[in-house]
Amino acid sequence: MKKSIVMKVLAAAMALSLVSCSFVIADETEAAGGEVSYEADVNGDGKIVVGYISKNFTDPFHAPINARAQEYFDQAVKDGIIDEWTGLLDGETDPNKQIDRAADCIAKECDIVIFLPAEAEASDPALVQMADAGIHVIEVNSKSASCDEKAIAYVGSDDVQAGNMLAQWVVDNCPDGGKFIHCNGVLGNSAQIQRTEGMHEIMDEHPEFEMVGDFDTKWDGNLAADAASDAISKYGEELVAIICDNDGMSSAAQKMCNDSGREDIICIGVDGVEVPMQLVKDGSLKATILQDGVGQINGAIEIVEKIVKGESFDPAPVIPFVLITQDNVDDYM
Amino acid sequence: MASSSRTGQISRQDRIRSLLGQYGIGIVLIIMMIVIAIMEPRFMTPGNIINVATQISINGLLCYGLCLCITTGGIDLTVGAQLALTSCIIGQTMSVLGWPAILSILAGVGVATLFGFIDGVLIAKFNMFPFVVTLSMQLVIRGLSQVITGGRAVMLTNDWFTGIYSSKLAGIPMPIIIFAVVTVIMYLMLHWTKFGRYIFAVGGNVNAAIAAGVSRFWVIVGVYTISGVLAGLASMIYTSKTGSAQSNIGIGYETDAIAAAVLGGTSFAGGIATIPGCVLGIFIIGLIYNGMNMIGVSSYYQSIVKGLIIIGAVMLDMVMNKNKH
Amino acid sequence: MSEQGREYILECEGISKAFGGTQALKNVQLHVKPGEVHALLGENGAGKSTLMKIVIGLYKQDSGTMVFDGKPYQARGPVDAIKSGISMIHQELNPEPHLTIAESIFLKREDHNGIFLNKRRQNERTQKILDEFGFPYPATTLIRDLKLADVQMVEIIRAVSTNAKMIIMDEPTSSLDAQETEHLFRVIRDLKKQGVAIIYISHRMAEIYEICDTVSVFRDGQFIGSSALKDVTNDDLIAMMVGRRVENQFPKVDCPIGDVVFKAEHLSGKGFEDISFEVHAGEILGFSGLVGSGRSETMRAIFGMDPLESGKMYLNGKEFKRKNPGDSISQGVCMVNEDRKNFGLCLFRSIRENTSLPSLPEHQKGVLLNQAREKREVEEVSRTLLLKAASIEHNAFSLSGGNQQKVVIAKWIMAGPKLLIMDEPTRGVDVGAKAEIYTLMSKFAAEGMAIIMVSSELPEVMGMSDRVLVYHEGRINGEFFRKEIISGEVTQEVILSSAFGVA
Repeated sequence: MKKSIVMKVLAAAMALSLVSCSFVIADETEAAGGEVSYEADVNGDGKIVVGYISKNFTDPFHAPINARAQEYFDQAVKDGIIDEWTGLLDGETDPNKQIDRAADCIAKECDIVIFLPAEAEASDPALVQMADAGIHVIEVNSKSASCDEKAIAYVGSDDVQAGNMLAQWVVDNCPDGGKFIHCNGVLGNSAQIQRTEGMHEIMDEHPEFEMVGDFDTKWDGNLAADAASDAISKYGEELVAIICDNDGMSSAAQKMCNDSGREDIICIGVDGVEVPMQLVKDGSLKATILQDGVGQINGAIEIVEKIVKGESFDPAPVIPFVLITQDNVDDYM
Repeated sequence: MASSSRTGQISRQDRIRSLLGQYGIGIVLIIMMIVIAIMEPRFMTPGNIINVATQISINGLLCYGLCLCITTGGIDLTVGAQLALTSCIIGQTMSVLGWPAILSILAGVGVATLFGFIDGVLIAKFNMFPFVVTLSMQLVIRGLSQVITGGRAVMLTNDWFTGIYSSKLAGIPMPIIIFAVVTVIMYLMLHWTKFGRYIFAVGGNVNAAIAAGVSRFWVIVGVYTISGVLAGLASMIYTSKTGSAQSNIGIGYETDAIAAAVLGGTSFAGGIATIPGCVLGIFIIGLIYNGMNMIGVSSYYQSIVKGLIIIGAVMLDMVMNKNKH
Repeated sequence: MSEQGREYILECEGISKAFGGTQALKNVQLHVKPGEVHALLGENGAGKSTLMKIVIGLYKQDSGTMVFDGKPYQARGPVDAIKSGISMIHQELNPEPHLTIAESIFLKREDHNGIFLNKRRQNERTQKILDEFGFPYPATTLIRDLKLADVQMVEIIRAVSTNAKMIIMDEPTSSLDAQETEHLFRVIRDLKKQGVAIIYISHRMAEIYEICDTVSVFRDGQFIGSSALKDVTNDDLIAMMVGRRVENQFPKVDCPIGDVVFKAEHLSGKGFEDISFEVHAGEILGFSGLVGSGRSETMRAIFGMDPLESGKMYLNGKEFKRKNPGDSISQGVCMVNEDRKNFGLCLFRSIRENTSLPSLPEHQKGVLLNQAREKREVEEVSRTLLLKAASIEHNAFSLSGGNQQKVVIAKWIMAGPKLLIMDEPTRGVDVGAKAEIYTLMSKFAAEGMAIIMVSSELPEVMGMSDRVLVYHEGRINGEFFRKEIISGEVTQEVILSSAFGVA
């Protein structure tokens, strides 16, 4: 990150030397402690316009994030912190649509855009396009390919860390080891890749565990439940755990286990959406791992505020995952 | 065709041959079962057989709806979205508004039925292409489920409702019972009622059907409405199974249902289908999933395997049918 | 090539072909001379079509050899056959309606400049051919804008333009009126003069005597015999075809004419105007006239397939109103449509389902169908109609044209009509089955049914009707009675001139 900022400063300096120096405004300055600051009104039209490109409107994980953004920016316009915002733009979990939305943001002369990429590679042109148009893009939740070069900030969590936590929970709760299965998200999705990677980092260190199934369950609770019942019917008592790339799948899998009289099977997933949280509270799901989506969007909002005020900020705040059990679930609901 | 025998008699050989032709896909099913059983002996346990039968209920109900629509020469692409909408209605009314479970189910299935009816009217009354109508309605229906839930997942707190999927009657899991009852009803409807004959007639030759006094309007409206009812019921099972209601479920579920119907001998040209055939198709699709899970096919290859098995099954069926002629 | 030489242009020897368990052709032969019109006679299912499909390469024979134009011959498909010099004009004309005449004629052998289609040159070449034939349309006319007779002419022109040495015509006159048929015969005579051999398949004996030189008869997949036409009588041929003597081609039984069943008053609609008539119980009322004179249009409107602009109808004295065919059927008005393929049958459903379709409401027991009774009744009506099928559970598709028509008639008989409208009831039906259908019509009339028969075949109308109404340009232009016809007072010429509006 740091290196790329230096590069940007150099590039800016070169640009300055080329342009005659009468009305130059420093676009980016590096303050102490790795913090950066930017000029808010990018296009100099006297108005500050903020864009928001969501990942989608349908996923329960994104619903509270979108709701928080809606609430804050509506208020911010009223309070005069910013002049205008685009409203929530629907990315439809589709890189193609996101690229279209990016073009919309450029057309609306946005100064700052909050962007939640659907895919690492495929959504990247949306970022590149906006960055090249001079817009300050803040990526949230997951990174697209050239995030480090093109975005001014990334607010997110480390999915590899989430994968570590998934595996660690199973290791801690099944001291004797045993067979487990893994339910994937949609293959190729960056969260699926990184969470799986993190899960393997820990599990590969623990030979007492054997992964006996790696299923293409596409974030789909129904398919995860079927995978669970298949695995129970094949391995019976030997099956000790089901690790899922999200907790929509882990709650459906846990429900299937519990309904089959196998409450002992440890099912765990990532996200901390409402249903699994409720299940943890009720005790039917032992734990889930909260990706603090609202925390992420709040981090992005904070950056927007600082840009507007001209303050400097941390360009890469990491919002940690939180292990949710019955003990702390109330603090996060 | 210069057969000298008069009407009425049908030789045993003929009957066996026509049965083989009609349900040749059954042989594909048996081959699949044998192959999976050899690769994974635990496949053939009673527990796993019941497990498969329970899992297929959702796709099974959707498949019947699609079978009817395809048989009239149409298609219903809304079933995946219907799954989401009914789920969201059940979740919202039951968990947020606190309605009794039965009332919520009726509301959810009722709305799905209504949308099926609307599809049918648009297609029959205004002569719009079924593909276009259901492709667009699918967007409306999914949009509506997003509006209802605001994209959030709703947890089902009603124990009776969430227990439907795992509850048993006389030792048989409830989804199997629902699927079996619907299968019998669909069988009787398609093969033993006037309405079923009219479906075949409209799909086989719509002009001849009209000339024989069949109302195209009611047949078309009827099949899309039934498809709506079945999607609603499937959604009830789905929601009970996962214990949560959300608007992003069921995406792409129409493809498995179409695949099952086509494997079961439903002709896209219209006018040809059988319910026993569909049952076989539904089991094949179910076995593909269960079999891959049992054998442990890597997740990255499951999609490829599924596609190849479907193509292979259809080809094998065609070859067997060819020998008959 | 030697004109009218002794050697044959096509020789088929020992051809056999089986489909599944059915032996469609048993060791048959066929010898066709250049420049002759060679009739193939036989009931539907006798094997004529199968043999022709082997000749043009649609099927491959199980055994047997063919020699064409002095060389051993075996076509791999119709395109291959055309290259060898054999073209076939099918019974069910199936041209691509969206093509122009030029595109249709040059189909599969388009005029190219390199990889690009040379449309202009293709059109010019077509126009030249059309002009030679005296065909009155430009080459760029779309096929769908042509009359059926002209579409057929396009097919013939295409065959001739491929330098065909032999042309197979399958029921070429089945949808042509008298004038158009005459025109076709002139073309056939011209082709003959150029040495082209014609294989002519038809059920119309009069035509065969008029245009053909030689005849080969087939029955039940076997070759029965071949002869010069001048040496055999009509009765001989029919006996060869059906294997027995048909006593009476038009077995009309006179029965008492009862009360008025159906009455039409001043009906007008698209294609017809101010049509009034009555039809009585026990009466067969014939409608004659040229194709397109408005007869079928009137019948479709009565049945409720098309709207009526004005006029009133009465059934058994009460006003008859219908919004759709379903209303008509439930009141006892049924119609055999002239277009069997489009309005008659669901070909891929069973004979049983096709037959019972209009009368299903009567076969309900609660919500379910009483299939046992349905099956019994379908079998009964199939027996009455002498339907030739292995089982009523077989697809209608597997039946010959004549038997398909019987299924269509069966389904209306089962519905128990008071008035049965039959539009071209014997189109594409062979001689034996024709006589059977006529017998049935007499029988139904004797049972008190009122029957309307629309037909373009004059002998049929004259042989079967108690009364004949003749259409000319959408109006009724003449009425003739059976006794006038029997007495010879009214001849074919009289009816024809009425149809042409001369009288």
